[in-house]
Amino acid sequence: MTEPAISPTAAADALTEIRNRRDQAIDATLVPGWYWPAVGGLMVAFTAAVETARPWVVAVGSVGYALGLGALVTRVALRHRAQVRNDLLGVRGGLAIVGYVLTLVALGLGSGFAADAAGLSWPATIGAGATGLTMALSGHRLTGYLRSVMSARPIGGGR
Amino acid sequence: MTAPRFDELIHAPTRLSLVSLLAATDWAEFRYLREQLDLSDSALSKQLSALEQAGYAEIRKSFVGKRARTSVTLTRRGRDAFAGHVAALQEIVARAGATVTPAADH
Repeated sequence: MTEPAISPTAAADALTEIRNRRDQAIDATLVPGWYWPAVGGLMVAFTAAVETARPWVVAVGSVGYALGLGALVTRVALRHRAQVRNDLLGVRGGLAIVGYVLTLVALGLGSGFAADAAGLSWPATIGAGATGLTMALSGHRLTGYLRSVMSARPIGGGR
Repeated sequence: MTAPRFDELIHAPTRLSLVSLLAATDWAEFRYLREQLDLSDSALSKQLSALEQAGYAEIRKSFVGKRARTSVTLTRRGRDAFAGHVAALQEIVARAGATVTPAADH
């Protein structure tokens, strides 16, 4: 090792700076808080439009959904000015995302079928509403968890 | 495990911040780096040129629609140098018996 002329305190400060900068990069990559309720709301509106079974409402709902989703994705993509390394997410992060999606799907299908079995009207909208509400209330928790997973990775580990 | 190797080029304050940001990313836009580091265009260009000349960074220019986009990525050599530098810093701290770095780094 090349002998550096820096003190342990300076080395510790440098490590703190490295960690802070990595956290800064991670924060820039995560989806913003409004993303989850926005996607959930669009999903519910689209499902409700389809469930009316009126062609013009379905058409308006479909176009609105496509435009809304397109606007959301564009907005997120435009603020995406750095791509955090995928390996920071790791297996734990990947499993958390898959688990979250599967939970939402199970919740939506479960509540939708339950509403149908109970003879309630608008069962699909109820299912989508349960999913959308859960997304709005818990999406930021997934984001926070992913942030903590990435921040906990050793610094300087390369790939 | 990466061999500790203190890197004077990386350790310069502004470059340490810049390389730390780049090391966490696959790529980052010039504009993003400039804003995060609170640097002028010329100051950032100067730092990036130093990294590019050392073979640590690669600068790519592309177009997104009509908008020119300059993005920066650390090369394999740059990532290895950064990993060696981090290991050297950790070694200095460990030798001094300090416990400043988080447990996840050990």
